[in-house]
Amino acid sequence: MSSGWGTPKGFAVTFRQIFRKPITQQYPEYKRPVYPRFRGRHRLQVHENGLEKCVGCSLCAAACPADCIRVVPAENTAENRVSAGERYARIYEINLSRCIFCGYCELACPFDAITLGNEYEISEYSRDDLIYTKDMLLAPPMKTVPVADRDLYDTPIPVYRSSS
Amino acid sequence: MSAPENVTLTIDGRVVEVPKGTGLVETAAVAGIEIPVFCYEPRLGPPVGACRMCLVEVEGIPKLQAGCTLTAQEGMVVGTGATSEKAAEGQNATLEFILVNHPLDCPVCDKGGECPLQDLTFRYGPGQTRMTFPKRTLDKPIPISPTIALDRERCILCYRCTRFSESVAEDGQLVARNRGSMSMIATFEDEPYRDLFSGNVIELCPVGALTSTQYRFEARPWEIQNVPTICGLCPVGCNISATTREGKVKRILSRNHPEVDQGWLCDKGRFAYPHLYAEDRIATPLERVRRRGFGEISWDDGLDRAEALLRGAGGRIVTALSGSETIEEAYALGRLLRVGLGAHSAVLPEATSSALDAFRAPLSSIGHAEVVVVIGEERVADRAPIVGLWIKQARRNGGDVVELAEPKLDAELEQRLRSSDRAVLIWSGRAGGGGARLAELAHSLGFDGKPGCSAFHLPATPNGRGVAEAWAAAADRDEANPEPIGLLIVSGDEAAADPAVRALAEKAEHVLAITMYHGLAVGWADLVLPATSYLERDGSFVNLEGRVQRLRRSVIPPVPDELGWISKLAARFGVEISPHASLVFAELAETVYGGEASFGDVGERAPLPARAAYEPPEPRPVAPIPPPAAAPAEHFLGTLRLLRYRPLFSGPTVERVPELRFQRPAAEVELAAADAERRQIRNGDSVTVRSESILTLRARIDRRLPPGVARIAEEHARDLGTTVEVSRSSNPFTSAGGERA
Amino acid sequence: MAEQRLVVLQGADERDLTKLAEYRAIGGYDALAKARALTPQAVIDELLASNLRGRGGAFFATGRKWSFIPKPDQNPNPHYLVVNADESEPGSFKDNEILSRVPHRFIEGCLITAHAVESKHVFVYIRGEYLGPFEAVRDALEEIREDDQLLGGVTIVVHRGAGAYICGEETALLESLEGKRGQPRSKPPFPAISGLYASPTVVNNVETLATVPPIVAMGGAAYAKLGVESSTGTRVVSLSGNLVRGGNYEVAHGITLRELIYDLGGGVPDGRELKAVIPGGSSTVILTAEEIDVPYDYDALAEVGTAMGSAGVIAIDDRCCMVQLGIRVSEFYEHESCGKCTPCREGTRWMTAILRKLEAGEASDSELDLLLDVCDRINGKCLCPLGETAAMAVASYVLKFRDEFLAHLDGGCPFGSQSPLDGVVAPVNQHTQSPVAEVPA
Repeated sequence: MSSGWGTPKGFAVTFRQIFRKPITQQYPEYKRPVYPRFRGRHRLQVHENGLEKCVGCSLCAAACPADCIRVVPAENTAENRVSAGERYARIYEINLSRCIFCGYCELACPFDAITLGNEYEISEYSRDDLIYTKDMLLAPPMKTVPVADRDLYDTPIPVYRSSS
Repeated sequence: MSAPENVTLTIDGRVVEVPKGTGLVETAAVAGIEIPVFCYEPRLGPPVGACRMCLVEVEGIPKLQAGCTLTAQEGMVVGTGATSEKAAEGQNATLEFILVNHPLDCPVCDKGGECPLQDLTFRYGPGQTRMTFPKRTLDKPIPISPTIALDRERCILCYRCTRFSESVAEDGQLVARNRGSMSMIATFEDEPYRDLFSGNVIELCPVGALTSTQYRFEARPWEIQNVPTICGLCPVGCNISATTREGKVKRILSRNHPEVDQGWLCDKGRFAYPHLYAEDRIATPLERVRRRGFGEISWDDGLDRAEALLRGAGGRIVTALSGSETIEEAYALGRLLRVGLGAHSAVLPEATSSALDAFRAPLSSIGHAEVVVVIGEERVADRAPIVGLWIKQARRNGGDVVELAEPKLDAELEQRLRSSDRAVLIWSGRAGGGGARLAELAHSLGFDGKPGCSAFHLPATPNGRGVAEAWAAAADRDEANPEPIGLLIVSGDEAAADPAVRALAEKAEHVLAITMYHGLAVGWADLVLPATSYLERDGSFVNLEGRVQRLRRSVIPPVPDELGWISKLAARFGVEISPHASLVFAELAETVYGGEASFGDVGERAPLPARAAYEPPEPRPVAPIPPPAAAPAEHFLGTLRLLRYRPLFSGPTVERVPELRFQRPAAEVELAAADAERRQIRNGDSVTVRSESILTLRARIDRRLPPGVARIAEEHARDLGTTVEVSRSSNPFTSAGGERA
Repeated sequence: MAEQRLVVLQGADERDLTKLAEYRAIGGYDALAKARALTPQAVIDELLASNLRGRGGAFFATGRKWSFIPKPDQNPNPHYLVVNADESEPGSFKDNEILSRVPHRFIEGCLITAHAVESKHVFVYIRGEYLGPFEAVRDALEEIREDDQLLGGVTIVVHRGAGAYICGEETALLESLEGKRGQPRSKPPFPAISGLYASPTVVNNVETLATVPPIVAMGGAAYAKLGVESSTGTRVVSLSGNLVRGGNYEVAHGITLRELIYDLGGGVPDGRELKAVIPGGSSTVILTAEEIDVPYDYDALAEVGTAMGSAGVIAIDDRCCMVQLGIRVSEFYEHESCGKCTPCREGTRWMTAILRKLEAGEASDSELDLLLDVCDRINGKCLCPLGETAAMAVASYVLKFRDEFLAHLDGGCPFGSQSPLDGVVAPVNQHTQSPVAEVPA
């Protein structure tokens, strides 16, 4: 680059950008929609009759590369029926400070009980608060995130939405 | 036996040479080839060829053959599923058929993840189902006993459990019912499966049909660690794996030491682990506080208090050992008390001896014995359950089993024992001098030069011999019995539960108890230091063969372990003892085990030391077995000698496991048929047992019991005297429940 | 016109041979005396010369079977003779006739065999439902009990089965006799080496044993002249199904199936057409009406892919639905499967399920192929022949009457309830099924 055109060329780029619209977005006032298949905070699903889909099989914990899921199962009884099968998850915890949102738990789940939602705003003041218990995972998320129109993308409808 | 000739055969193109008669499954394993199986299990007797998973193609035979039923023959050419398309198709078909009615509830099933059916389906099975009709559904799970749940839908009818019941435990309680696709496993007459060894069917089951109720939904295979250790509940020392999850023991599995346990466990060893989590377990030292009873104190205070007690006794200390300490712990205690305080006196429930080392052999040698003589009045299964299984195996293999109440052999039996090359003597009773009396007998029968002839003494405590040796090695002084006793140290729960130790405590000025449970310590000890269980310790045990086996810590105990605080306490008396079991063992091994054994060598499957030369045991005053009582004049029916026994399912450990309650002995008195007949007592009658006190028990007639004896479990005999009168209850309203009449 | 040739049932039409005196009058128990004068080996040689082959279904040479028994000096255990009288094959009822009408000839055969294999213990395992034959044998034994010379120190025990088809399989029979669950053992060892109570055991069919006295009486070579070369002698054939004159007929081997059905059985009643013939009991491969000119002997039947089995010929006329026949046969084997080996236990159930779907018209044509594939997957993988023969039989219905099966695919069974299978194969629900799964307290 000894032709001497280097410097003007570089400045040309700079000047061109000055007159363009900035791409900065005013988060959190404006939330940019995420893609429909964005993997955010987990949710535990329930059947229409109110029973939990999770049977506490721990396959999600086995699949988890970050080892952030802890499941302690127990047996359903006639008086206390929580899930459809013989067993249910008495304790279901996800340590979201360790989670890498890979979605392997969702893949491993034989009952489509755990799914990854779109919420990514999960910061807390304490690490302890990032251990999500079963109650938190069953409840709908507090903060919602706009999701881009599904029709814009070639997104298959997940099995757990279409057939259960 | 001459060495069997070798044969050469070809499996999947690989040439293998094995001894003639080797099973094809094992032969293939030698060549590194897997023949998948479900029903095949050599420990259960001859193969049955039921599951058809092992189908192989044998050259010259048009039909596929069940590999498990074949043995290696010269020149055989075998193709397994790996090379033979036909065999692979057969195995695939078998799995497809099995899965037709097998529920796909693997995520719920406890076996999921460690299930042979799952594994083999992945390797050999069809990827998809073609079945379009509903699966067979049945009621489930069915608790066939408080410890075992049966799921008949998952059952693939390999008949392993029924074969175990029929030809290993020989209880005959598990049977198959119905026929064809409605065949199902059931207990005989739907009674609960009540057997000493019932838990083994859980491990034998290749699917999740028989599962443990204790382990039910507790953990998945990828969440657990298995710790190889040994069972510390009886002198056999079965090799076990303790499955732990999140720092808690969840189940006990067998670890198959072929010379010791052959992979079987008794239900006590398998199901008693919840005693670790008993409600009355002590977590901190307890001090007696006047009026208030007991108060919790800190460990520092506890050690201070212990030091004060030890110093205050002035050497007049007696230690009641329970025989379930590790040898390291006993040695450390011995160093502390004997070297530090000059307190040499210790008691054990039973005498110990090393005299039988001259007739040492692995327990497995019982299984091939020609003649087995069991001497003593206690049932083998109550003292060492696995030995009972080995004796059954000997009988199945054509051996003769002779049971004698006393060590008196008739001339014919003596001659047989002298001439046999495979004879075994077993002492199962009291007053055996720790095997010394049996050693004398074995020596007199000329067992010295015959490696196939062996003798075993079944001690009452799991590690009595190791404890005694370690205690003896701690110092070189004779024992002296202090009078009066200044301080009684009660080491362990078995000692704390022992009435003899309690009687000793009455005479002692102070008592320091080391126990796990509140119930055992409250009311008589001045200071209680929390103890740990065999599942929580590092150390070693000496089993009844004389095999040194290693305990590994499965879980961290809720309290510091004994070795740790003994070491601290010892330092206060100027005695140096390492808090680490390996270092204590090294020190001990030099004096006791001739410096040969190292902690590492004891290893995962401990070897048996070589036989020692016979030395006549030192004469000891041995209490003779009392002769059967002669009929006294005042009662025309005569009195019976009370035979107290400690049942297998008894003791502080078992009492804390609710699932094992059904295994504990009923409030019964066992009578010989002749004695019962004379008293017009029938099976199940309510009878009154009278000596200094009176009890009402149910009668059970035992044809194997010698006449003149009334056999009552320790926990039901209470404070009956040595001779009792037994008669039918006159009061028809008295219920047979063991209440005091 | 084909005729009967009476050897086993000889004399039974004229006299009441259940009586000892009557049987003696036609020379009964003379063969026993003749045999006892010979050495055991000589009797076996006679049998080898006769080329008698087992009448139970496997068609194994009887003399050879006996010669496998180790001599007493080779195996010190007692020798046993076990008679398989557990005749339960649908379509087969020849042993019933033999035991009821010529019990003494059967007992004589037992005693001769006991002599030949040097056994002192005979166990007759008789089908539980066969009360009449059981009583005939019991009464006959009662009659000869006084005669110690006749029995020659041999004890004959008649044991009644408990209604399991599988106990007609020789090793399952032995298990049942020992008081265990009636399930086949894996072979080897064969019963000749380790049978009843792990001792050398001969297991023979009733008809085989009832044929032994005539063979000893007339000489093996003379017997071998009867019938055809590969299948010597006579056979009691049970004719049933849609026939004018059903019943047992003793014929020399080599007679054609057509002669059996039309000459002896009188053909199909009411002028209907013959559609198919099951030649040897329900476990054999079916033959179409075009194939019945085959001679009734082992080799000829094997050539057309079927077997003589236990000689139960079932004629099926054109009103019968082959799918319904398949269901009945498959249900029978599902019900009678012992549950030991996987392919038979699960496969027969699967077969029935597919056939039921076909009959209801709910199946697709891929399921017809699935049925054949399931049959194929059972075949050759079972522990004993039960499942395999069931699979072969059902597969043959599909293969030979595929059009009829295809007709079931849409709209269900074209025959409907008109198909009169009642006289052909009985439905399985005549046995009460008891799928119990109670929870123990």
